[in-house]
Amino acid sequence: MKSFGKYISRHLLTFASVIIALVILNVLTFGITFYKIIAKDYGEASPQNMLETASEASSADGITEDARHILEANHIWAMYLDIDGNCVWTAGTPAGLPNHYSLQDVALFSRGYLNDYPVFVRNTDDGLLVLGYPKDSYTKLTGNYLSVRTVRTLPVYITAVLAADILLLFALYYVSKRKIMRNTDPIIESIEALSDEKPVHLKLNGDLAEVADSINRASRVLNRQNEARANWISGVSHDIRTPLSMIMGYAAKIEDNIEAGQPIREQAGIIRRQSVRIRELVQDLNLVSQLEYEMQPLHRERVRLSALLRSYVADLLNGGLEDRTSVELLIGPGTEEAVMECDARLITRAVGNLVQNSIHHNPSGCNITLALLQSDGDLTVSVRDNGVGLTLQKQKELAETPHYMESTDERLNLRHGLGLLLVRRITEAHGGSMHIENPPEGGVCVSLTFRQTIRPH
Amino acid sequence: MDNSFLHSKKILLVDDEPDLLNMVSAILKDDGFQDITAVSTVREGLAAVRCGRPDLAVLDVMLPDGDGFALYRQIRNVSDMPVIFLTARDEASDKLAGLGLGADDYIVKPFMPQEFLLRVYAVLRRCFKDEAPLLKLDACTVDFSRAEVIKDGVTIPLTAKEYALLETLARNGGRIITTDALCEALWGDNPFGYENSLNAHVRRVREKIEADPSRPVSLITVKGLGYKLKTRT
Repeated sequence: MKSFGKYISRHLLTFASVIIALVILNVLTFGITFYKIIAKDYGEASPQNMLETASEASSADGITEDARHILEANHIWAMYLDIDGNCVWTAGTPAGLPNHYSLQDVALFSRGYLNDYPVFVRNTDDGLLVLGYPKDSYTKLTGNYLSVRTVRTLPVYITAVLAADILLLFALYYVSKRKIMRNTDPIIESIEALSDEKPVHLKLNGDLAEVADSINRASRVLNRQNEARANWISGVSHDIRTPLSMIMGYAAKIEDNIEAGQPIREQAGIIRRQSVRIRELVQDLNLVSQLEYEMQPLHRERVRLSALLRSYVADLLNGGLEDRTSVELLIGPGTEEAVMECDARLITRAVGNLVQNSIHHNPSGCNITLALLQSDGDLTVSVRDNGVGLTLQKQKELAETPHYMESTDERLNLRHGLGLLLVRRITEAHGGSMHIENPPEGGVCVSLTFRQTIRPH
Repeated sequence: MDNSFLHSKKILLVDDEPDLLNMVSAILKDDGFQDITAVSTVREGLAAVRCGRPDLAVLDVMLPDGDGFALYRQIRNVSDMPVIFLTARDEASDKLAGLGLGADDYIVKPFMPQEFLLRVYAVLRRCFKDEAPLLKLDACTVDFSRAEVIKDGVTIPLTAKEYALLETLARNGGRIITTDALCEALWGDNPFGYENSLNAHVRRVREKIEADPSRPVSLITVKGLGYKLKTRT
């Protein structure tokens, strides 16, 4: 069932997309949340900007009042050191800061803190401008260096990691899909078998054991129902046989009794013939139901079809055929030795039903030709008559209308025989197919085509 | 074929349906059988076998106190007489079970009286063929007990294959027997490729039994199917 694979793919892909969307969403949330802080701390009052502003507004002589106000407003203090390290002027510096700084002091605070104040410096022509921010307002990275190699490798590294991530994600997707499919394939197959009304027994361990149990239960229920139906039909057909034996037996006796009057004997003949029809119907009904629910195992054996057909025709002739009907057997070239693995009784039954159909539908007689032909490894048994043929309506009905045994439609014509349905079932049980034709020269031709599995010996 | 020599055979019928027993008895009686015992249980059936020593038993498969297959096994303990199963079950497995046990035939209900009689005669003839009478043909008489043909007062011996061929055809009384079935009767289980040999044997049999072997009136070819033997009535 391909649709199930697609279904899993779609869901796993959706899952992957959701993960990617989540990452993007996180980044966006982070961005929006920190936007204000970033805008403020990295905005106008950022060390970069303030150093710019202050260095423009100051010199070794002092700082403009405007700049001093801006610094004050942002709680930033400033001082200016000359090249010897002496403090030339200050603005808002906290108490306790020295007036002179050695080379070591400058080296240290320029990268870090001065009395725990994060400080930032800018070199000018006359000296060094130092800005101090309130304690705990900025953190400084004292080890802020990267090797050139690191910087050069970084893009490659990021790309590789991303690629690896994507590959991993796909591998994960593939493995998950395989695993799910492996576990669900038997389930799907079982459901398909159930829909074909075949019994299933599914064995699964782990999380899906419960599902397997349910399917097995459903199969048992279906099977019980099918068996009950087949048993019911088989029971009825069994119980009808003994009374029918007596009807047929006594009817035949009356028919043969020369003491009975002619009309009575004729009527007995009708009773006998109709009883034979009931017998055939009951046998067909039972066989169709047994085949349908696979309750009747095929007794397959190697059968020479030419011999089977000869035997059938001989039986037919021995049983007495009315003069207006003739039967001819045609064994095609290369088919005399053709052997098929089949249930001889069922194949004989199928051929018999076709012949009886021809006889039954042509009360004024016809020529029936049975043929065994071979082409491309296919064996075809055909029964053709030159009788009245099928009307267009009947042909259409055979092709389009399901048999009442296969339909729940109550309006179907229940006067169909079971003969053709049984022939089709038997043919299909042997892996073959049935074709009904209306040959242009008249009559009907029904062909049963089987794949020949065994070469002639 | 004249079956009257079989009418003295004792026949045992076992079926739980009295009406059916009556009818089958009537069919057999009407055709000339005189000694018919009809019972309806396994117990009575077994008793009848012990006391009456019948020549043929016709058993129903489903009986009120057991099944026909079990009765068959019990009968086999005391007698090897021919047995025909008569049953309303037609599943192939039942048929195989019946014949697998060694039963001589298996007739499925509902059946026509004529069909029933044919099967009974076929089984009886097979089992009591020693008593087979002379077979009268158009140009000769066949004595199966001596494997000889008597034509125009001359006695012509039959070979084993010729005997088997004639006997198979005669046993089936005028019915068409396919070449396949004849080959099987003459050469056993794997009778493929013997068609030419069969033709040769047919030719030789015709030389012995026909007045004009090139225009046979007794051993007749049914084109494409096989042969049949026409007897003189």
